[in-house]
Amino acid sequence: MTPTTDQPSDNGNTGQVPIDFAFVLASSVHDMKNSLGMLLHTLAAMMEISPPKDAEQARFFSTLEYEAARINGELVQLLSLYKMDEKTLAIVIDEHHAIDIIEEQIARNDTLLKSRNIDIQIDCDSDLVWYFDNELVGGVLNNLIVNCARYCKKQLLVSATEENGFLCIAVADDGQGYPDNMLLGPLPQAAVSFNSGNTKLGLLFARKVLELHKTKKGQGYMTIANNGPLGGGVLKLYLP
Amino acid sequence: MADLGYYKMHALIIDDFENFRGTLYKMLMDLGIGNVDTAASGEEALRFCKARTYDLILCDNNLGKGKSGQQVLEELRSTENPCSDSLFILVSAESSKSIIMAAYDYEPDAYLAKPITPKALDQRLGRLIEQRAELKAVQAAQKAGDYQQAIKLCKELIAGGSRHANSCQKLLGQLYLAVNDVAAAEALYRTVLDNRELEWAQLGMVKTKLAQHDYLGAQQWLENILQGNPLCMKAYDLQAELFKLQNDTEGLQNILQKATDISPLSILRQQALGDIAQQNNDLVTAANALRRAVKLGEHSCFDKAEVHSLFAQTTIDLHSIDKELAKPLVRDAISCIINYEDNFGKTQLKKAESLLLESQLQVCAGDQRRAQEALSNAQTVLGNTKDADALPVQIEMVRALRVLGKTDEAQRRLTDLLQHYASNEDQLQKLDVLLDEPRSEKNKLMVAEINKKGIAAYNAKDFSAAADSFKIALQKLPNHVGLRLNYVQAMIDKLKSNFEQSTNEKIQQAFTKASAIISTQHPQYQRYRQLNEVYTNLVKAYEKNSRG
Repeated sequence: MTPTTDQPSDNGNTGQVPIDFAFVLASSVHDMKNSLGMLLHTLAAMMEISPPKDAEQARFFSTLEYEAARINGELVQLLSLYKMDEKTLAIVIDEHHAIDIIEEQIARNDTLLKSRNIDIQIDCDSDLVWYFDNELVGGVLNNLIVNCARYCKKQLLVSATEENGFLCIAVADDGQGYPDNMLLGPLPQAAVSFNSGNTKLGLLFARKVLELHKTKKGQGYMTIANNGPLGGGVLKLYLP
Repeated sequence: MADLGYYKMHALIIDDFENFRGTLYKMLMDLGIGNVDTAASGEEALRFCKARTYDLILCDNNLGKGKSGQQVLEELRSTENPCSDSLFILVSAESSKSIIMAAYDYEPDAYLAKPITPKALDQRLGRLIEQRAELKAVQAAQKAGDYQQAIKLCKELIAGGSRHANSCQKLLGQLYLAVNDVAAAEALYRTVLDNRELEWAQLGMVKTKLAQHDYLGAQQWLENILQGNPLCMKAYDLQAELFKLQNDTEGLQNILQKATDISPLSILRQQALGDIAQQNNDLVTAANALRRAVKLGEHSCFDKAEVHSLFAQTTIDLHSIDKELAKPLVRDAISCIINYEDNFGKTQLKKAESLLLESQLQVCAGDQRRAQEALSNAQTVLGNTKDADALPVQIEMVRALRVLGKTDEAQRRLTDLLQHYASNEDQLQKLDVLLDEPRSEKNKLMVAEINKKGIAAYNAKDFSAAADSFKIALQKLPNHVGLRLNYVQAMIDKLKSNFEQSTNEKIQQAFTKASAIISTQHPQYQRYRQLNEVYTNLVKAYEKNSRG
C-alpha cells in the first residue's frame, strides 16, 4: 500500500499541506505493530533463555505477554478498519469448516489460556461448513476469546451451530456478565469515549466484519446477552 | 492427532533473526520433525533448496536485506528445483493476508501470523499435511499430465464426502479446463454459483467463457467480480488477457495501470505495463513503469535484461520529446545500465550495448565528455563485426551517433547496414526503425494500412481513433515523418474540439521530435510549417479566450 505523496496540496495561498490524520495514524500504527512484534519475540526469546523461577515471575511474564498481545490485536483491528474505510481491504469469502477457525483461535491463545488456568470447551460438529472470510472472522473470534479470558472465572465455551440459515458462533463465559449499557444500548458507530477506558474498538471491528458478510438472506450481525450456558455473558456472531 | 509421519520430514526455517530461528527450530523438534535446517537469508535458503528436497518450508516474509519471503516463494514455484512443490508457510508480522495477497503472483500454502504459539503451529501443520496426504494422488496425476486420472480421483473424493471437497471442486474446474472440457467446467462453476457467489467460481466462469471465445460473456463476469471486489488481482489479470485476445492495446494498458496502482509490488504486471505503454508510444507511462520494474527486479527471479535496456531506451526516447519529463528518470537509467553487464552476464555484445545506451543517457544528463568516452569504448568493443547477432547493437550505434550529433558517421553506418542486409527482409524490418521511409515490404504495407485506417477515421471526424492508429505505428517507425505529421494533424483537430492540456502536451512533444528529424529539404517540410502555424494560432486563441 504505497501512499501517494503527490496529492493536490494547494490549500488557499498559505502553501500549507493539510494533514491526512487518518493516514498518519495508520502509518504510525503500522510502525508500532512492527515494534510490538519485535517486543513479543524478544519476550519469547527471553523466557526461552531464562524461564520463570517461581509462580510470581511466571505471572509477570504472562501479564507482559497478554498485554502486548492485546495491543497487537487492537492495532491489527485499527489497521483493518482504516483499510475498510479506504476500501483497500480484500475480503475473500470461501467455504470453511467452523471447527477449524475455532480451534485455530484457541491454539493462538494457548499460552494465555494455560497461564490463567482457563478451561475452554468447544461444541461444534466437525463437519459443519460455512461461507466466510476466515481471516477477518478469525480476528473477531480471537478478540472475543482474549476478552473473555480476562473477564471469566475459569471456564469458556465456544460453540457453532446453524440457526435459521445463519451460522451462529457463540462465546460464553462464567463471569459476571456484560454491563447493562452494553446489553441495551446500540452498538457503537465509531470508537467511543476516551474516558471509559474501553474504546469498544473490538465491537466496532466485529460489527464491520459482520456487515461485510451479506447474501440474499441478509447480512451478518451479533447479539449480546447474559445468563448464558455457563452463567455469565454470551456473545453470538451470526453469519448468513 | 494421528501419526502424520513427522519424524520422516525434513524442514527448512528461513528467518534473519537468530532468536526466531532458534524458537521455531525448537518448536519443530518438539513436534517430532526428524530433520530441521535453518537459513538466515533468502539467498542461502535457495542454495539449500537446490541441493535437496524439503517437505516443509517456514519462511519469514521480512528477511531484511536481499530477497523477501515472497520472492523466495516466487523463485521456488517458478523455476526448476527440488522444492518447487514443498509445503510453504509464510510467516509474517503483518498477519493480514490482504496486505500480502494483493501484491504478488504466487500464494503460499498458508500464512502464519507472529507471534506463533507451538499449538497453533502444530495445528496448522497437521491440517496442511493431512490435506496434502488426501490430495496426494490427485496432485501426482496432475503433475504427471494424466488429467483424466486426476479428474476421476477428484470426483471420487467429492463423492466420498471428503473433508476437502471444496479444494477438490476448485481443482476439478481447473482440470476440466485443462482438458478443454468446457461444458463440464461451466456446469461445475454454475452449480457452485447457484448456491453462493464465490469468487473462485466466478473467475472460473471467466476462464470458461474465454475458452468458448465468448468475449462478451467473459467481460460481463469480470465486471461482476470487480464490482464486488475491486481488489481481486486475478480478475485484473484475466481482464488483461481478454484485452490481449481482442488486440485492444489501449484497454490493456488501462487495466494494467489500474492493477499496478492497487498492487504496485508485482514485478510481472509492472513489466507488462511498461511493455504495452511503450508499444502504445506512451513514453511517460512506459518509462515510469519500467523504472519500477527494474527496481522490483533487484531481488526477483523475474528480472530480465530486456526490461533494463528497454527502460534505458524509453528514457532516451522520452528525453527526445520532453526533457523535463525525462529528467527525473535519467539518473536511475544510467545506474541501471552501468550494472547491466554485472547483472546479465558479460559478453562483448552486451558490453557494447550498455556502453551505447550509457552514451546516449549521458547526453540526456548533459555530460558530453562521458558520453563521448562511452561511445569510443563501445566502438572499440564492437569493432568491425558484421555478425547478424550484432544488428541490434549496430542499430543502437546509429542511434547513439545521432544523439551525439555525429550525423554523417551515423548515415555512413546506416548506408553500410542497408547495403549489407539489402536482400534480407527480416533484418530490413529491424533497420526500418532508423529510417524516415521503411525499406521492408512488411513495414511498407503496415504504413499503407495504418494510413488508410487513420485517414478513414479522420474523415469520419473521429480524431482520437485516427491519432491512436498513427501513434501505434510510430512506435515501430519513430522517424517516419509522414506518419508523425498525420498524428499531429489528427491531434490538432482533437484539440480544436476540446482543448485538453494532455492533448496539448502530446502535440508539443510530437513537434519537438518532428523538428529534430525533419530537414528543410524534406518534401513534407512545408506541411510541417503549416501545421505548426495552425497549432500556434490555436494555442494563442485559447489563451486569449481563457484570459478574457
